[in-house]
Amino acid sequence: MGKDYTVLAINPGSTSTKVAVFNNENALFTKTISHSSDEIAGFNTIADQYEFRAELIEKLLREENVDMKSIDVVVGRGGLLKPIPSGTYKVNEIMVEELRSAKYGEHASNLGAMIALTLSKHLGIESYIVDPVVVDELDPIARISGMPEIPRRSIFHALNQKAVARKAAKELNREYSDVNLIVVHMGGGVSVGAHRKGAVVDVNNALSGDGPFSPERSGGVPANQLLDLLVKGAMTEKEIRKRLIGNGGIVAYLGTNDMRKVEDDVKAGNADAVLYHEAMAYQIAKEIGACAAVLHGEVDAIVFTGGLAYDELFLNKLRTKISWIANTLVFPGEEEMESLVSGVLRVKRGEEDYKEYVAE
Amino acid sequence: MEKIIAINPGSTSTKISFYQGEQEIWTEKISYSKDEINSFEHIIDQLDMRKKDIDELLDKKNVQITDLDAVVGRGGPFKPLQSGTYRVTEPLLKDIREGNVQAEHVSNIGAVLAFELAKRGGIPSFFVDPVSVDEFEPPARLSGIPELERKSLVHALNVKATAHKTAERLEKPLAELNLIIAHLGGGISICPVKKGKIIDANNANEGGPFSPERAGTLPVSSLLKLCYSGTYSYSQLKKRIVGNGGISAYLGTNDLRDVIARIVKGDEEAQLVFDAMIYQIAKEIGAMATVLKGDIDAIVLTGGMAAEEYLIEALSERISFLSQVFVFPGENEMESLVLGVLRVLRNEEEEKNY
Repeated sequence: MGKDYTVLAINPGSTSTKVAVFNNENALFTKTISHSSDEIAGFNTIADQYEFRAELIEKLLREENVDMKSIDVVVGRGGLLKPIPSGTYKVNEIMVEELRSAKYGEHASNLGAMIALTLSKHLGIESYIVDPVVVDELDPIARISGMPEIPRRSIFHALNQKAVARKAAKELNREYSDVNLIVVHMGGGVSVGAHRKGAVVDVNNALSGDGPFSPERSGGVPANQLLDLLVKGAMTEKEIRKRLIGNGGIVAYLGTNDMRKVEDDVKAGNADAVLYHEAMAYQIAKEIGACAAVLHGEVDAIVFTGGLAYDELFLNKLRTKISWIANTLVFPGEEEMESLVSGVLRVKRGEEDYKEYVAE
Repeated sequence: MEKIIAINPGSTSTKISFYQGEQEIWTEKISYSKDEINSFEHIIDQLDMRKKDIDELLDKKNVQITDLDAVVGRGGPFKPLQSGTYRVTEPLLKDIREGNVQAEHVSNIGAVLAFELAKRGGIPSFFVDPVSVDEFEPPARLSGIPELERKSLVHALNVKATAHKTAERLEKPLAELNLIIAHLGGGISICPVKKGKIIDANNANEGGPFSPERAGTLPVSSLLKLCYSGTYSYSQLKKRIVGNGGISAYLGTNDLRDVIARIVKGDEEAQLVFDAMIYQIAKEIGAMATVLKGDIDAIVLTGGMAAEEYLIEALSERISFLSQVFVFPGENEMESLVLGVLRVLRNEEEEKNY
């Protein structure tokens, strides 16, 4: 065992900030600070909240009696940046400026790097982000959609996809850069990524109405019919957007996005629940089959992760459709804090070089 | 041998074939100028013009209608139907007349032309496997939002005919086979065919791989943005999805021979776009393989593009891990129509009621 590292990890959500202190791979503590809508309403933009949240974190650390001097490095959740290769990036002024101005869009995760940099300056240490959602390793061929105006983009659950892909490779006693995997992240949104020797060469864009439907999102929908729906004017643009992300998929069909409740209804034999549960598995399986073709059928494992991977009934439905492609591995849940910390530890231990973010 | 006339109306032509049994005796094409066609407001109004020209052609060819055993017309986007060979009857004619169909399309009048001709000879008229053949299983109907349903509109005529040919090749009844049939034409249909039934299909107008003329699946959020950007009108966007999408949108041509010629000359853009289409076809085939749970007796490539060697090779390289690959190039619509009627006349299959 080499040097010990104490890592402060920060994961900002829309109404909360998750904070953890790790000693190497071990979490010393994990806390979630909630922000009331009143507190947040006072800010014009999400980016304006960074000082407010940073102060709350410092207060929390004092209350928890964390020896600030013991912290070696800070890591924040990555936000909406330009498309970049996977990796651990040192937070720099260019990055923070782009996040502050929401150059590539506004999102709570944009605060991760801003808060990390603020705290790391106070402590006189370095700060990093790891695998933001904009990680882009698509093959050129995967960028073509069918309409030149709207290319396919790589926006997905990169942090968790990459973290479990490494775990899966380890379980196979191979290097991540040496295996072909299909990673299936199943949370509120579903992303299915084709990992070819360490690069996600194709993945459905779970934020753009692409791929399978999920508990909260529509996935891909019939394009022509969608136009007809728009032109009818029965729904506004905002309503349709909501139907695609947030209020689509299972919640649109069954009125709930609580998959434990859906699972109970399936077990009780509720016909609607059975159909939509099955249909979601059907669409996810199809996306997995598509990724198998991307990898020419050379698939070392199919890896299930995210909250839905706790649902054995659902996993079994998936397995009957896809287990002929490759063995399946399951890493349920989404260990975001652990994934952030692992990314930094790889760099600190010299297993991987950190990357420098430069403007487009 | 059975004597059959087959009628296949296209947007600016009517194709007529005369068959004796499986044997094609002749095929003729009656062409119309765009001006002639555009002078009619509705497609159904073209009926008399097309009928008269067919009569003249048959006169010229010395075909006596009373000598025939049947007339078959191309089916259209009628209401959702089971696969099969249907006798043209009054309820269908009424639906066509009154517009109770899924889309206004020239193929809708194929059955009417067949009926009118057959009536005069006192012989039966049929249509076979129209694009509205619907054998989807329930999960295949769901899109992801309740407002939109995945609909079965598919190149059923060629897909079914190809399925029958594959069964013959494998020397097994179709009812015992699981196939993935890829119809590769101006539009593309990829179908898992489970024991003879098309249980899913990308609707070529709505999704799936892009094709020479159609956009296929699109990133929906970006599409929405484009819709509200004011860059295109509704009908322009529609055109960009079906008709002028896909290869045509990227390369300015829907003619595969042009594309191949450009690739041969080293045009990298043409190469990338053509490879991307093959890539998307492979992905759709992979997707449909899970619908059959990996239990696949053969993958069958058909349609006009299946004659393109480079495409077949590149595609096979990606999908041959799934199963053996057969190729039946061409669309063979006239033959497929006739074979459908022969199965019924020879009592190999029961005719269906509309």
